Amino acid sequence: MKSCISCGMPMTRPEQFAMGDVSKDYCVHCARPDGSMQSYEEKLLSMAAFIVKTQGFDEQAAAASAKEMMARLPAWKGRASHET
Amino acid sequence: MIAESTRTKRKNRTRHILMKAAFDRFARDGLAAARTSDIAASAGVSHGAVFVHFPSREDLLEAVVDELGTRVARRIHELSQTGASVKELLEAHVQGLAEFEPLYARLVMEESVLTPRAQSGVVMIQSAISEHLSHAVARESAAGTIRKMPFHLLFNTWIGLLHYYIAHAASFAAPGQSVLERHGPALVKHFWGLIKE
Repeated sequence: MKSCISCGMPMTRPEQFAMGDVSKDYCVHCARPDGSMQSYEEKLLSMAAFIVKTQGFDEQAAAASAKEMMARLPAWKGRASHET
Repeated sequence: MIAESTRTKRKNRTRHILMKAAFDRFARDGLAAARTSDIAASAGVSHGAVFVHFPSREDLLEAVVDELGTRVARRIHELSQTGASVKELLEAHVQGLAEFEPLYARLVMEESVLTPRAQSGVVMIQSAISEHLSHAVARESAAGTIRKMPFHLLFNTWIGLLHYYIAHAASFAAPGQSVLERHGPALVKHFWGLIKE
C-alpha cells in the first residue's frame, strides 16, 4: 500500500492521490490547487490546524506534534524536528 | 556484490526479528520496564546486536511506536470504506485497535514516558481515525442524523471512553482477554446513542 510521502496517509483509491493521479507520491491533502506538492511550511501549518480542529489541541502543542510527525516522513526526513 | 546482498538481507532479517521481539516485550513488560537484554534474548541475538540496529533504547522504542502507528493507520484505512457511516467507522476503529491492543494499551497508560517523537506517533494514530471520522460526521451532521457539536469534543469523548476501558482492562475483562473485543460493541452502541439525533 502506498503512503503519502508528505503526511503519511495511506493511499489506496484514486481520489486520495493528488489530482487523482495514482503515479503521484503525495495525497490530495498535500497538493496545492495546481497539483504541486505543498512546501514544508504550508504542510506544517495545515497539519497543526487539522490536529487543533479534530483533536482540540493547544496550538503550540499541535505545531510541536506536527513537526515530530513530519520528521519521520520521507519528504521531510532530512529536516530536524526543532527546525521551523 | 553477492556477499553484500547476503549481508544486507541478513541485517534486514535481524532488524525484523528484533522489532518483533521488541513489540512483544514492550507490550508484555511495559514501555518503561522492558529491558533491551530481554528483547535481545527473545530475538535470539546478542545484547550488543540490538545497538547495531538501534543506537539507543529510545531509538528502538521510537521505531516500535512508528511501526505500530503505521500499521494501525493502515488497518483503519483498510477497514474504512469510501462513504462508510459514522457507526461503521467507530466499529472499524475498535476492530483496528483490538488487533494491536496489548501494545496500544501500553501507549495509553505510559504516554508520559515517551519522547516527543514517540508521543507524536500516538497523535498520528488519532489523526488517522479523526481524518476518516471527521468527514463522515460532517456528512451525517448536515443530513441531520447526528447531533451538531464541535468535532473535537465528539472525538475526544469517544477516545476518552475507549481509553478508559483500555487503561483499566484489569477491571473490565478477564485476565488475558481483550477488553475491546468484550466491550467494543457495547461502547459503539452507547456512544452512537449519545450522538445520534
